[in-house]
Amino acid sequence: MGSGALLAAPALGQGLVDLALPGGPSSRPTSSSFPEKGEMILQRARPPLLETPMEVFDQGVFTPNDRFFVRWHWADIPTSIDVQRYRIAVRGHVNRSLAISLAELLRMPRVELAAVNQCSGNSRGLFQPRVAGAQWRHGAMGNAKWVGVRLRHVLDLAGVKPGAIAVRFGALDQPVVPTGPDFTKSISLDHARDGEVMIAFEMNGEQMPLLNGFPVRLIVPGWYSTYWVKMLNDIEVLDRPDDGYWMAKAYKIPDTPHANVAPGTKDFPSVPINRMVPRSWITGWADGQTFSYAPELPVGGIAMGGDAGVAKVEISGDLGRTWHEASLGPDEGRYSFRRFDMTLRVPHAGSYTLLSRCTNTNGVTQPMTPNWNPGGFMRGCVEAARVRLT
Amino acid sequence: MKRSFLDPSPGTLAFGGLVFTSLVLVAIGPPSARKPWAIENASSPASAPSQVAGPDITLVSVSVDLPDDTVPFPDGPHAAVINANCTSCHSATMALSQPRLSRDQWKAIVEKMRATYKAPVPASAVPEILDYLTAMSGKLPVNGSPTAASADRSGGTG
Ligand code: HEC
Repeated sequence: MGSGALLAAPALGQGLVDLALPGGPSSRPTSSSFPEKGEMILQRARPPLLETPMEVFDQGVFTPNDRFFVRWHWADIPTSIDVQRYRIAVRGHVNRSLAISLAELLRMPRVELAAVNQCSGNSRGLFQPRVAGAQWRHGAMGNAKWVGVRLRHVLDLAGVKPGAIAVRFGALDQPVVPTGPDFTKSISLDHARDGEVMIAFEMNGEQMPLLNGFPVRLIVPGWYSTYWVKMLNDIEVLDRPDDGYWMAKAYKIPDTPHANVAPGTKDFPSVPINRMVPRSWITGWADGQTFSYAPELPVGGIAMGGDAGVAKVEISGDLGRTWHEASLGPDEGRYSFRRFDMTLRVPHAGSYTLLSRCTNTNGVTQPMTPNWNPGGFMRGCVEAARVRLT
Repeated sequence: MKRSFLDPSPGTLAFGGLVFTSLVLVAIGPPSARKPWAIENASSPASAPSQVAGPDITLVSVSVDLPDDTVPFPDGPHAAVINANCTSCHSATMALSQPRLSRDQWKAIVEKMRATYKAPVPASAVPEILDYLTAMSGKLPVNGSPTAASADRSGGTG
């Protein structure tokens, strides 16, 4: 346990990557200096924003815990967790307030589910016009097998009172300035009771890294990561809408299809960000990479259905005029990444732009045109992967 | 969420042992004021970390060191002012990694830091901070990719 000596070296960076963000700045250090983490793209050291390098997604549909992206808002993050003393409060509009120990939690009925955890602002750095915020490329996401207890089970133990409408989640991290807004998020009571929302204590067969929320985090399958509260220690049943900053002001999207508005628009009805949309990425090479020519080009990658399963993935080599269906890898569940592969016949050497397009089991297909909104949220368009064959 | 009730005083520690062996759920009152979360064992590497076991899984207490960030805003006019005001909550990188932003866009961000996130930045320091940030943005290519005219992105983040 623990990372041993504190790395007080002035430079945390060990390498450099170019995220190719339009207009820059686009180079980022890579770093293996964070506890329980391997090599990550260092977006921000304090509080940590660590992005997963794209090649990790080519190695399997489950993202290893030590390469799983990290995202915190406030820098006051506990660095020690004593599992014997940890308690999860269940309180508010309930019949009995509870303080659940981890020993109790581990004896409750369990569920297991594979689910993609993706930041609301994943790929924000590619928005054009650019917008302020964390300047991620595509690696603010990961997929894991989560094991935990249904939130519904815990709510039933406390007994939700009539008139309850929402459930708010709080965690151990705290604002650096005491008067700053504490990070809390909420979902509707119906959603909280859907049997899928889970208090997870296991990630890919192990306890989760502290930076991913040890000892327990909320899993909200199909919804953006902002709701997946890490180091969860407070579950508050509300009989009124949550008007806190992180629900009422931050993480709001235009209430339009694809959360899309014309660049520069500011007056639009908005709603809290919610369900994810289908996405796919060709992961076999870095965008723009060069290979020696061969008549057959293997094209593979990962897809996600968002709030539904992956129904199909198609590849285009002619900027979307024609599409060819790829074969899908094993189905690990509707909220998981799914592998796709196909072999393309390439007539001659040259530069090629390949596109991948996912359709989910609700029939929603990735659009060709990128969405835009001032928060840089919910990118979901078809992405290009360029390759040079010489 | 406040940490106080996770830091039981010696008097309440007893129930920790109780619930560990039974399934009794303990009723608690609402959490009170913030307190630093002191951890047993955290500073005694000799003793094995505490554990909690359940069917097929054992959770082991964790203690880590988070690397600190020492990369400041680079030298330039008013670097001292921005380093004094804009590095207490997050790395300078948060600002250094932003795309080219106009003075008005930077102003909206700095105002959000002060009003929403309660950054203790005196109004008198704001013009110099904006000078620094606007000059920094000015080094990025003009036609690289313009940022949107609207400076108002409400809370943002993600
Ligand atoms: C009181 C704490 C605090 C101080 C001091 C502070 N910030 Fe922030 N800042 C935040 C928080 C919290 C966020 C949101 C963090 C996140 O999303 O991870 C943020 C985000 C940002 C962002 C990202 C864009 C956005 O709108 O969210 C920029 C840029 C930024 N800060 C610049 C600054 C500058 C420049 C200063 C000095 C004037 C400053 N900050 C001082 C707390 C602070």
